[in-house]
Amino acid sequence: MIATLRYEFAMQVRRPSLWIVYALVFAVLIVALPFGSLDLNDYEGSVGRQAMSVAAQILVSLLPIVYGCMLADRPSRDRVLRVDGILDATPSGRTARLIGKYAGVCAATAVPFAVAYFGRALLYAVVEGQPSALGWAALTFLASIVPGLVFLGALAFAGPLLLPPMVFRVLFVAYWFWGNLIPAAMMPTLSHTIFSATGEYVRYGIVAPPPRAASGPARRPCSTSCARSRLRSPPGCGSA
Amino acid sequence: MRIDVSGLTKTYKGGARALDGLTLTVPTGMYGLLGSNGAGKTTFMRILAGLLRPTSGRVAIGGHDMATAEGRLAVQRTLGYLPQDLGVYPDLSARRFLDYIALLKGLHSRSARRRRIGELLEVVALSDVADRRLKGFSGGMLRRVGIAQALLADPRLLIVDEPTTGLDPEERIRFRTLLAQLAGDRTVLLSTHIVDDVAQTCRSLAVLAKGRLAFQGTVGDLVSHAYHRVWTVSTPGPAPVTGRVVSALPEGTGMRYRVVAAAPPDPRARPAEPTLEDGYLALMDG
Ligand SMILES: Nc1ncnc2c1ncn2[C@@H]1O[C@H](COP(=O)(O)OP(=O)(O)OP(=O)(O)O)[C@@H](O)[C@H]1O
Ligand SMILES: [Mg+2]
Repeated sequence: MIATLRYEFAMQVRRPSLWIVYALVFAVLIVALPFGSLDLNDYEGSVGRQAMSVAAQILVSLLPIVYGCMLADRPSRDRVLRVDGILDATPSGRTARLIGKYAGVCAATAVPFAVAYFGRALLYAVVEGQPSALGWAALTFLASIVPGLVFLGALAFAGPLLLPPMVFRVLFVAYWFWGNLIPAAMMPTLSHTIFSATGEYVRYGIVAPPPRAASGPARRPCSTSCARSRLRSPPGCGSA
Repeated sequence: MRIDVSGLTKTYKGGARALDGLTLTVPTGMYGLLGSNGAGKTTFMRILAGLLRPTSGRVAIGGHDMATAEGRLAVQRTLGYLPQDLGVYPDLSARRFLDYIALLKGLHSRSARRRRIGELLEVVALSDVADRRLKGFSGGMLRRVGIAQALLADPRLLIVDEPTTGLDPEERIRFRTLLAQLAGDRTVLLSTHIVDDVAQTCRSLAVLAKGRLAFQGTVGDLVSHAYHRVWTVSTPGPAPVTGRVVSALPEGTGMRYRVVAAAPPDPRARPAEPTLEDGYLALMDG
């Protein structure tokens, strides 16, 4: 399992297309969204904490698409390359190898994501003289981004078992826009709910949402305590 | 490690019956497996390697029952397997690929692994290109990587499915000699279409035809199938119409044919000494 984790990580993290696609989408984010300025919208409170939350919010808008799509060809890769015969004839065990592969490939695919996020955090900490931002960045990444990536990784490993990777990618992108990005006012969606993989709810636990993060009549901005209570009983408090 | 197979049947989804009640004993040493395309050789070897479950029948290897997970694991611990449709990771170097497979085979000591991989790269004559990506390897070079990975954990049982396909003659002869040397107290099961490889290295062999056992015995036994059935015919005219032409060589103004046939195919035919290939063809022709 450890061997598979190591080698799958190494093979994925050295894949040039991984970095190229991430870089392209990242460029779009920089141009189209305030990733450079981290516009805080007149927020009052711990500015470093808020800035890291905004940075996370911007990155999770599009980078998870790259993450899911770059994972999609991995589950079937051994079969496609016809390495499975050799691997299956070793006493290593299929389940152990699958777990190792999942962990290794997901971690490797999250590396450019983490580089972008912590790179921004470092820049912010230096330029604004706020080293605490790094701590907030670590907390936000672990608590709000990683769980989403773990879920998306499982989705990207299960999906291509049923569908060809290209079909899965198309559906995955559709899912991402529908379930995580579009405003709830447009159509029924998972966006801005606890089922959204953007980790938005967890970020509400770290900082209150900026006024425009939650839009649409059904999803008003809510406070930290309200988010917590929603986590406990989703249909309850805060719907008014 | 002795392999005991009884009543082995494999029917694929879709109904193709690749093995049909195969009963066979493979003793320790080098053992050949011949058969035409689609005879079931690969299916048989994949079942032995624990990659495929039979539809029915029993397989025991070195006393381990392959129907149980423990049995398969015990066999795989001492197994070297070279699949017919060998694949590799194109982005790894030969050395790193072998390192990965060695880890999966349980060679945990880094120094032992490094030493073993170095030795095997030497054996398959790939030391010079060991750190190049496999992406740029030729078919024959990839096959040698495959051979090296099969030998990694010093296997007691070697299952090699058409290992010499795509190798140049020198490399082919070197490899089949290596296999024969390894055999000793190990079991080496060699499937091939190159009858000469079996003739040069195996004492015993089996022939599969349509998933059934067509022959089991020594090389001499199979050769004897062709006794009094091999002929040479020198003729300026067309090839003989009866029997199976094995070779055709230009000779003077005509041709010299080698023919396997139950009776002289031509009045001018002279009897010839049979080879294993003749025996195989005689068997197949019934
Ligand atoms: N995955 C599969 N699904 C369905 N049928 C299969 C499959 N693999 C093999 N077969 C069929 O089983 C039969 C035996 O195939 P197998 O590959 O075992 O033969 P072989 O003796 O190795 O042939 P070759 O010499 O061409 O390698 C063939 O008729 C083949 O079409
Ligand atoms: Mg075959």
